[in-house]
Amino acid sequence: MNVTVEALQKGVLLVVEGQVDMHTSPELRAKLRESLERKANPIVADLTKVGFIDSSGLATLIEALQAVGRYGGRLRLCGLQPAVRNLFKLSNLISIFDIRETREDATK
Amino acid sequence: MARPADLDLVAHLPSHPRYLQFVRALAGEGASVAGFSDDERSRIELAVVEGFTNVIRHAYHDAHDRPVEVRVQVTGDRLRVVLDDHGTFVDPSRIASRPLEEVRPGGLGVHLMKTTMDVVDYRRNEHGGTTLTLEKRRDGGEGAQR
Repeated sequence: MNVTVEALQKGVLLVVEGQVDMHTSPELRAKLRESLERKANPIVADLTKVGFIDSSGLATLIEALQAVGRYGGRLRLCGLQPAVRNLFKLSNLISIFDIRETREDATK
Repeated sequence: MARPADLDLVAHLPSHPRYLQFVRALAGEGASVAGFSDDERSRIELAVVEGFTNVIRHAYHDAHDRPVEVRVQVTGDRLRVVLDDHGTFVDPSRIASRPLEEVRPGGLGVHLMKTTMDVVDYRRNEHGGTTLTLEKRRDGGEGAQR
């Protein structure tokens, strides 16, 4: 897994690539934490190149969602592949997260 | 006499999360050979990855150098994945899913296994550890019967 962080005019964009699981989620958590510590708003995670997320990856995103909410910020996800979208549905999280189709929409 | 398996893959792996990608590939290969759709294959991969993750977390308490046997068998349209460990017996009631309406990190692994597989069965094995059996039949319906 690889996470690239880009500053936006407002907020920050994390472009995630690869498999997000128990092995790789600590790296994603660390990158999210850097943005959370700076109170970045919004934090946008582009998951277009993520083909697989497990419950450890979901837990990382839920933690970030809760942390961003504590300072009144927003976490947006975009580019969910069908298998990843399905996982959000199975976990009853599809309506909890702010999920956008495209990066353009998520970073507006 | 029982029909011989069409596919019988066995891997002896350390309980390290770095092998999750390999475990996913094994499960995906089994699902493909059994003829599951792409969507079902993704869900089966997820269920098996959750099973292996639970072995690391609950049977071995995050020790990364303990033995896990992963067996993927396909017989006709039936896929069976068996995870055997030598760790602490995992009482399934101890790792039960959290209510889905409680949005908090963790507690989803068992839910994700049960919503996909026909069988999610935990048994104490001869090593004192756990044998987790995950089974799914193509067109076998949704979710665990037991």
